[in-house]
Amino acid sequence: MTKQQANWSPYDNNGGSCVAIAGADYCVVAADTRMSTGYNILTRDYSKLCKLADKCVMASSGFQADVKALQKHLAARHLIYQHQHNKQMSCPAMAQLLSNTLYYKRFFPYYSFNVLGGLDNEGKGCVFTYDAVGSYEKVGYSSLGSGSTLIMPFLDNQLKSPSPLLLPAQDAVTPLVEAEAVDLVKTVFASASERDIYTGDKLEIVVINADGIHREYMDLRKD
Amino acid sequence: MNFMDSKQPESGLLGPESDSQRTLYPYVTGTSVVALKYKDGILMAADMGGSYGSTLRYKSVERMKPIGKHSLLGASGEISDFQEILRFLDELILYDNMWDDGNSLGPKEVHNYLTRVMYNRRNKFNPLWNSLVLGGVKNGQKYLGTVSMIGVNFEDNHVATGFGNHLARPILRQEWHENLSFEDGVKLLEKCMRVLLYRDRSAVNKLQIAKITEEGMTISQPYSLKTHWELSAFQNPTQGAVGSW
Amino acid sequence: MKLDTSGLESAEPVWATFNELADGFSAAPSFELPNTTDFDGFQKEAIQMVKPAKGTTTLAFIFKEGVMVAADSRASMGGYISSQSVKKIIEINPYMLGTMAGGAADCQFWHRNLGIKCRLHELANKRRISVTGASKLLANILYSYRGMGLSVGTMIAGWDETGPGLYYVDSEGGRLKGMRFSVGSGSPYAYGVLDSGYRYDMSVEEAAELARRAIYHATFRDGASGGVASVYHVGPNGWKKLSGDDVGELHYKYYPVMPSTVEQEMVEVAGA
Repeated sequence: MTKQQANWSPYDNNGGSCVAIAGADYCVVAADTRMSTGYNILTRDYSKLCKLADKCVMASSGFQADVKALQKHLAARHLIYQHQHNKQMSCPAMAQLLSNTLYYKRFFPYYSFNVLGGLDNEGKGCVFTYDAVGSYEKVGYSSLGSGSTLIMPFLDNQLKSPSPLLLPAQDAVTPLVEAEAVDLVKTVFASASERDIYTGDKLEIVVINADGIHREYMDLRKD
Repeated sequence: MNFMDSKQPESGLLGPESDSQRTLYPYVTGTSVVALKYKDGILMAADMGGSYGSTLRYKSVERMKPIGKHSLLGASGEISDFQEILRFLDELILYDNMWDDGNSLGPKEVHNYLTRVMYNRRNKFNPLWNSLVLGGVKNGQKYLGTVSMIGVNFEDNHVATGFGNHLARPILRQEWHENLSFEDGVKLLEKCMRVLLYRDRSAVNKLQIAKITEEGMTISQPYSLKTHWELSAFQNPTQGAVGSW
Repeated sequence: MKLDTSGLESAEPVWATFNELADGFSAAPSFELPNTTDFDGFQKEAIQMVKPAKGTTTLAFIFKEGVMVAADSRASMGGYISSQSVKKIIEINPYMLGTMAGGAADCQFWHRNLGIKCRLHELANKRRISVTGASKLLANILYSYRGMGLSVGTMIAGWDETGPGLYYVDSEGGRLKGMRFSVGSGSPYAYGVLDSGYRYDMSVEEAAELARRAIYHATFRDGASGGVASVYHVGPNGWKKLSGDDVGELHYKYYPVMPSTVEQEMVEVAGA
């Protein structure tokens, strides 16, 4: 019999865009809820956000099965951490754990693009952005996934702050207040869903601040 | 604790291909499965064709099976892999039953198990060549989910595999609603299956519809759909297709 | 003699997958390998999919007062700039720096790993590791992964009991001792400036300016380099960051805008 599929691939790209913005005392993490494969929309309501700890949320796009495996792995590691230390993991600790977890799959990578958002030990917003094999960087804001090339320049235009590498060092936290940041996130996703076929349907926004985690939704284009 | 140490031998990184048996391409395959939630539970439909490449080799393949007390599994793709999955599930349900604690695995648990099996096999580069649909009802909760060959999985109010994603889901998105009655649900599924029959060359006009509710599940006897090949779209298919015969 | 409690264990057969899962968390982490006959082909495809950040200019040189280390801060995936703020100079410990070129994750992970090994050496031997030793630790690790697709081009710069030290180490297994190195896509441009301006008896200020100028000119001619030019100095008392300048602004320092004379003024068109 002839081969039906020329070559089996263990990967797929299920699309989606993620954004995170850190503020002085809050962090906004958002992603759309569309899941696609090729030109097919598989479902319009799939959450890409994952709460990893009390003050730590991860948004992931890429290959859904890898993302799910990664989320489950981190959840299990966090459970062990809680049993051993009797506390929640801090966001910077989770950031390093995520980096190592991704790198240990260096030769068979998780095809996932992650942004981690949360509050650090001082209660300041922090965002960590990753590549698929675990290199990471602490930034003030970030966008990853299929619509990132549309979103990132827009965020640069609205939020770009002095580079953290400059001497004397300057704070990379965005100057916006919480409500402004949420509005900005809504705007960038509305724009991205106009031009990226893998972004749309619904936007899920999570805001992390001293009061805890707050979640809201906004409809996006469904075409 | 060394009962099941009969793990398949970890083949070396660059070991010869001959020491591992893998499904590199499917042999006998089933086509789409379509399923939806309705008022009282889940309805699922699949035809009974088993294709050997483009040959319709088998015509009475049951592609929907009950799993435990609360779940129903439908499969497209490699039939032998599906039957192996059924053996896994039989074992799973049996060992769960042996606890004799009055608990039983619900659709959510079975679906989760399937996602892990499918994903683990893709991690071993030895996929189970199927797209699975799992539906069920337990404690008044309706559940409908799907898993692909490489582990991509999700829940939705209606799902379909293969060609069904292209042809059936647009219809479902337009016509599905929360309060579908049993009759309307069957009608909707039949509409989807008819469209698939018209346009999917692997589909055959012999299908089953399965129902699962809190009360239990039934899988219908095979039956055929009324077709209308007289539709004007089918009258002169080469018209307008210049250069074809 | 231990009490035999095996009878208490559940007779429930545990599937192989369960054991694997438990092992995954309790055992030391290890690198999972894809079960494929064509590892090279898979690696090539996989790394293409995850789009590694590429394009860099880094340099380091030894001079009278120690070692000067400098780098740009851009990461690009093809034509897209994925970051303008990458920390390409990695602080291994207060006396040693590493530079980053090639795969960002490979460099970040193995430098962190090297940092751990160096600290362990300190604890075991009550003295800091030499730059020679540290660079060899890294080179040996990278050599053990040779052919598996790691991409690292790094310089290990530091100050030890023998004075300043500088080594170039890469993922092909190379390890060179030297006075002057530049690594990355912008290195030819950086070498041009560096080689023409280098003198051993420079002051710290002169050396920093040379390093900065070399990075700047590399970012000017190499599209894959850019962002901020960071300059570090390693002396007998450890490293210190001397400067971090946006190369967009450095441009006006090296090429000041000349006030040009107006040759013709725009005037209203009469009539119309």
